[in-house]
Amino acid sequence: MTSRYGTALSASGAALRVLIVLNLLLGLGIFALLAASLVAPEWTMAALGARVDLNPALLTGGRAIMLVGICSVPLAHIVLSRLLAMVETVRHGDPFVGENAVRLNRIAWALLGLEMLHLVAGIVSAAASTRTAPLGIDWSFSVTGWLAILLLFVLARVFAEGARMRDDLEGTV
Amino acid sequence: MAILVRLDDLLHERRITLTELSERVDITLANLSILKTGKARAIRFSTLEAICEVLQCQPGDLLEFAMDEAAGKAERDRRP
Repeated sequence: MTSRYGTALSASGAALRVLIVLNLLLGLGIFALLAASLVAPEWTMAALGARVDLNPALLTGGRAIMLVGICSVPLAHIVLSRLLAMVETVRHGDPFVGENAVRLNRIAWALLGLEMLHLVAGIVSAAASTRTAPLGIDWSFSVTGWLAILLLFVLARVFAEGARMRDDLEGTV
Repeated sequence: MAILVRLDDLLHERRITLTELSERVDITLANLSILKTGKARAIRFSTLEAICEVLQCQPGDLLEFAMDEAAGKAERDRRP
């Protein structure tokens, strides 16, 4: 059971490291796409399948969505790197520390930022799309993400209180 | 901390070593060292009872409230 738990933790750590690299690569990709849309707008939008000839607003909308994508990269990096640091503390057998409460709090703020960017993407998509030439972003509002943020803020507080209590208990003779 | 632990003095008066006390009160030497050096954050009633029983003393003989240190701490806390 313990070894299976250890294997799951190692796998989580490895998966998070891969995701951190993929996130940075994705950021570079979106940045390259944005640069291409500035240098060769017709070619880029045609490659993305956007009918700029039918709806010129797609170009601005597309660039705005790319910018939202680039902004989401550092936020996703905060989530992934802090989560990896938390997994490492679990692997070392000491997860109930004040630092993890701070990390959870930062993850919650980063997720809040990502949800806000998701909203911006939805607004841009709705503003730039027309019935004949939509932007093609599959956007939908989800309450789950907002609930997860709320849960994380509460959990961070619980974690901080738990770490403080453990500190007190450790100093009890 | 404004609470001083007088375990060292009591051990000296009773001619008992920390190791001996540790065996008699059934508390690890490490924990008793933490208590003796004033690094403990809290003390259980059971620990206090066991030490007082072995050393034949009152809790007040083991613990002392240092008024000067408390005043100094309050002053430090007040500073912005």
